[in-house]
Amino acid sequence: MSLRVEELTGSRKRKGERRPREGYYGRPAVKASPWNWMVASYIFVAGLAGGAQLLAGAAGLVDRRRFAGPIRNARLLALGGSVAGVGLLIADLRTPQRWYNMLRIVRPTSPMSLGTYILSGFGGFTALTALGPLFGRRNPTVRRVADAAQIPAAVTGAGAATYTAALLAATSTPAWAAAPRELAVSFGTSSVASAAAALSAGEALAGRESTRRRLDDVAAVATAAHLAAGWATAQRRRRRGALEGPSETRPARRVEAADLLLGGILPLGLYAADRATGRRSPWLSVAAAVCVLAGSAALRQSTLDLGKASTREPETYLGFTRPRAAHRLGRHPARGPRRPA
Amino acid sequence: MSTYEQSQEALATAGTEIRPGRRYGFFTDTTLCIGCKACEVACKEWNELPAEADGGLSGMSYDNTRALSSTTWRHVAFVEQMQGDGSVRTGGDSDLPEFQSRWLMMSDVCKHCANAPCLETCPTGAIFRTEFDTVVVQQDICNGCGYCVPACPFGVVDLDEQDGKAHKCTLCYDRLKGGLEPACAKACPTDSIQFGELDELDERAHRRVEELHDRGVRDAYLYGAPGGPGATGGLARLNAFFLLLDEPEVYNLPAAPTRPARRVAPALGVGLAAVAGLAVAAFALLGPGGRR
Repeated sequence: MSLRVEELTGSRKRKGERRPREGYYGRPAVKASPWNWMVASYIFVAGLAGGAQLLAGAAGLVDRRRFAGPIRNARLLALGGSVAGVGLLIADLRTPQRWYNMLRIVRPTSPMSLGTYILSGFGGFTALTALGPLFGRRNPTVRRVADAAQIPAAVTGAGAATYTAALLAATSTPAWAAAPRELAVSFGTSSVASAAAALSAGEALAGRESTRRRLDDVAAVATAAHLAAGWATAQRRRRRGALEGPSETRPARRVEAADLLLGGILPLGLYAADRATGRRSPWLSVAAAVCVLAGSAALRQSTLDLGKASTREPETYLGFTRPRAAHRLGRHPARGPRRPA
Repeated sequence: MSTYEQSQEALATAGTEIRPGRRYGFFTDTTLCIGCKACEVACKEWNELPAEADGGLSGMSYDNTRALSSTTWRHVAFVEQMQGDGSVRTGGDSDLPEFQSRWLMMSDVCKHCANAPCLETCPTGAIFRTEFDTVVVQQDICNGCGYCVPACPFGVVDLDEQDGKAHKCTLCYDRLKGGLEPACAKACPTDSIQFGELDELDERAHRRVEELHDRGVRDAYLYGAPGGPGATGGLARLNAFFLLLDEPEVYNLPAAPTRPARRVAPALGVGLAAVAGLAVAAFALLGPGGRR
């Protein structure tokens, strides 16, 4: 009696039968990352800061004078974000006094190594750009240096906005490894949307209507892109079987839906309502901005939580790492070709 | 006398000389394992590892270490299979008659993968490849970022919350430097754990599988040998490979793990492209275009 295809593809345990996918006494077959809210917060902050500098770069290329307000806000936001982000990362290390060892090597196969340098470059250029608003009021040379640093800050900011998804995908955690490209787009779009929302809220609070409306358009487009990417990520995870353990599926679906609602559907609805009412009051736009920011933060934390949940049950990981050809072969490939008796 | 001229005890105990520049590993033949756990004890003694805090009876047969962790670098798994609960499928296409039960015992360890994901993700360079082709975590460099932990496809390396660093089997790097074979291989009374040069081990392992197949044990296969299960998805091969009698999932091993580094370029590339696309859209939306 050899393994039949039904045994490989059956999903519920039949009475009395112990299937190989149950693993070893239900113990996890792969380990969860030790990261907590500090890493989730860092990913959110880095995305927000990176997106802000990216938008400041774009705005500067369009019309530096007209967008002086958002550019200034973006530079200061990014400065605060870089400092906070680095602080969060160092605090998360279990041996924080050795934080500088991150700079010992460059390892292209490690998104964390690449991220160290992306973040360092971003922090440096951001500090230079911030010299403008901080010290450049009466000093044109300082302003020129700050403006020259804007494009590099924007480019490294783009990296900061999305590399964290590569960081998560380059692991063996099923919920993260299942959809690397989709997760990267999801994180990148969320970062840009949250930055546009934050800058738009800044404009609303300062009473600058025209720039507020332009930034709202950017935020709406980014949010729509994020909704699509988030949905694609959820679909691909499901297809790859990354959340298949019995206790994982329903809570995971709820979490994914909540993220798309808070960071996608709700703000888009508010932006649409704002347009429909002729964009007179800034409050709809501010409400949308709050949703986008909250959604972006919730996305990072829930992605981390989903990842940890997907490592808990052996059924999930062992199903996820089954060779895809198994269903076609009808026998476990580990057994090799049939030998004549 | 230089380090490598001193007496090579490994020659006597393992039949192999230990020289830098050669590739070493373990071949663990689980058909010989008697579940004595001498390997666990030897490993903990040599490396001065503490016992488990919850190290009492686990209810998992005779397993009391439960899993590989920062303080358990050799873990013996006990799988009881009895007819009636459907777990014994009469040995696949084996010639052996149906039997009542069998007890699978397997000494799990760090696989010292050829393309080790833990090494590839380590941002400080603490995890490196030694001159014996093994994978070791340098304790004076690791800063406890914890990235190696979810990277490992076999759930081996672990971050110790108490001392703040990552730990795993070193293949007794210190013993290898002194010409001694690893403690677990030396202690194993049945030679289930065999230490040696990879080419030699590969040959021995294939011969053993042939021998078992000829005797009617057709379930036997190699896990982690090049081209086989466990060495899939870009992992190339596992320096510590196994001879198993049932599917990998029974031992909590993935049948087709993948090398995480393969996902870095696609994720980064597509992510950056998406963000660049949004930057272009922003440029267009922020630009002149009438009253909005």
